[in-house]
Amino acid sequence: MTIEAPGTTAYLDSLVNVATGELDRRIFSDEEIFELEMQHIFGRAWLFLCHETQIPKKGDFFEAPMGKDNVLVVRQRDRSIKALLNTCTHRGNAVCRAEEGNVRNFMCTYHGWTFGLDGELVGVPGMSDFYRDELDRTKHPLRKVAQLDNYKGFIFATMDPQAPPLLEFLGRTGRIAIDLLAERGDIEARPGVQKFTLNCNWKFTADNAFDYYHPQITHISAQAVGMIPSADVNDTGGAKTDEGKALGVQRLPTDLDTLVALGEYGHAISGPSLDSMLRTLPPEMHELVTWRQNPGPLAALGPVGSRFAGHPHLFPTAWFTMDAQISLRVPRSAGVTEVWWFSFKDRNESPEEQKAQLGRQIHSFGPAGFLEQEDGENWSQSTAQTRGGASRDIPQLLKMGLGRGKIIHEDGVARIEAPVNEHAQLWTYLSWLAWVKGTSWDELRSATTPGDYI
Amino acid sequence: MATAHLETTIAPEKIAAMYLQYEVEQFYTHEAALLDHQRFEEWVDLFTDDTAYFMPIRRTVPRRNLSREFTRPGEMAFFDDDKATLVGRVQKLGTGTAWAEDPPSRTRHLVTNVRIIEDLGTELTVETCFHLYRTRLKSEIDEWIGRREDVLRRTEEGFRIARRDIYLDQTVLLSQNLSNFF
Ligand code: FES
Ligand SMILES: [Fe+2]
Repeated sequence: MTIEAPGTTAYLDSLVNVATGELDRRIFSDEEIFELEMQHIFGRAWLFLCHETQIPKKGDFFEAPMGKDNVLVVRQRDRSIKALLNTCTHRGNAVCRAEEGNVRNFMCTYHGWTFGLDGELVGVPGMSDFYRDELDRTKHPLRKVAQLDNYKGFIFATMDPQAPPLLEFLGRTGRIAIDLLAERGDIEARPGVQKFTLNCNWKFTADNAFDYYHPQITHISAQAVGMIPSADVNDTGGAKTDEGKALGVQRLPTDLDTLVALGEYGHAISGPSLDSMLRTLPPEMHELVTWRQNPGPLAALGPVGSRFAGHPHLFPTAWFTMDAQISLRVPRSAGVTEVWWFSFKDRNESPEEQKAQLGRQIHSFGPAGFLEQEDGENWSQSTAQTRGGASRDIPQLLKMGLGRGKIIHEDGVARIEAPVNEHAQLWTYLSWLAWVKGTSWDELRSATTPGDYI
Repeated sequence: MATAHLETTIAPEKIAAMYLQYEVEQFYTHEAALLDHQRFEEWVDLFTDDTAYFMPIRRTVPRRNLSREFTRPGEMAFFDDDKATLVGRVQKLGTGTAWAEDPPSRTRHLVTNVRIIEDLGTELTVETCFHLYRTRLKSEIDEWIGRREDVLRRTEEGFRIARRDIYLDQTVLLSQNLSNFF
């Protein structure tokens, strides 16, 4: 076996083998690769920062991560929104050390340089005495992100001035991912972002969004106590294993038809089709997904988009859930990821509906969620085993349905219809490779444009 | 004689207050022991049927925005449980397949600074500080320190928890889950 020099294109190419569905486990713990990710992915991609309803008033701010940079998303006096790097242009101190709040301006607590909500340097102590009025204040505002835009109230930014416009970056698949939340109604962020720390590589959290192979084992306890809603009609009421039968656990519908969308730049959606989901949800919960067929949403989502009930994931790290939440996975190092949960409600829903949804949001995910407690276990343990000198030589497998994913192009969406599969995960890593090699935007786009098979 | 001295110099209300303090502290010591001995069914019985178990999200905010440090009921939280949800959590542990707690974590609930804030007769408001130390798997350590505000209801079986608000001192949680009880 030849080992290529780390960082070279040949080395990176050797890490992801789409033909065999095998990945090199080094990609989950190598700090050099993490630095490439920071530079080529998080330094270039459009990243979700927050929702406009999180900063409704003038002077409201929300601090969001962009790679290792911290960015203040600030509501301006004219109600527009700016995103400023949270670092003083004098000597680098953070000009704000809170996660969110409301300010009139940002005064650096090192030497007192003061910046307006728009980032302009408006105050320098000792301007005449110490600087003899020789400092040009206009040259040292807080730096802005390279591009800022919002799609239906969801605010994104990129550090790359060359990045294509947000709408083009999202493409049809990325827009459907957001529409599956935005088109629910009159969306408002609920106060409070859950944030917790996992000892895992961010890619485990990302590819898991598409994994409908794990729930029947990972989430067996949540299923056993009724925390995964189940209509109990599509199967014979039996578990797959004797152990499962002893627990009285219903079989989770992981053999149902899966609908996969593969999008440019790595976005994807994967999971049950709307029809499959309706067979698994109890009737009183059908509204959770049937709103997609209402005229307004249908017009935005289109005939293909409205059939998705699985998990949409915006490359690199934003998962839009079925129940109006966004799970943002914030990489802190190769082995540490913070998970941030943004939760939304529809202002048009009745107080009872809003309350019921809040309960589902709190009790499903997050560190105390009935589901995610077990997910975190898998991700941290899987990451730990990528560090062993012998263990890391064992390939990471994504072979389910390999080569059988016939891609249908319709209504601007590239989709696969198949039983539970690993096509979306494979797509994520195929795209990851194109990103991390630092290819140009044009090459990146063509490398992540779906063909006929995967 | 020592007893006589006590009776002559300490007012009866003070003795009653001491006794109440003792009873409340005994209750919390017992509760902590149930949790640390993994006797969760008995633990959850300490909650009234109309209980509310709430852990808000704490945020790092400037001093002048401190009023929005904690989320409120109706907003996002880490725990916002009624009795049925709490029982569901206990049942989940009992399945033997709640992998986050299997192998089970080892916990130590240290409860201190017990202050009876208000006694309305049928119900008391009590504030406590806690230090929950946990080790799990081979070498993971988590620690949570914070403050709890309870409403304890007097019943024939003794105190029952009619409401518990848990205020953690961490904002970004440094643990990978909250699979234990506070
Ligand atoms: S570092 Fe900000 S004023 Fe000096
Ligand atoms: Fe899961």
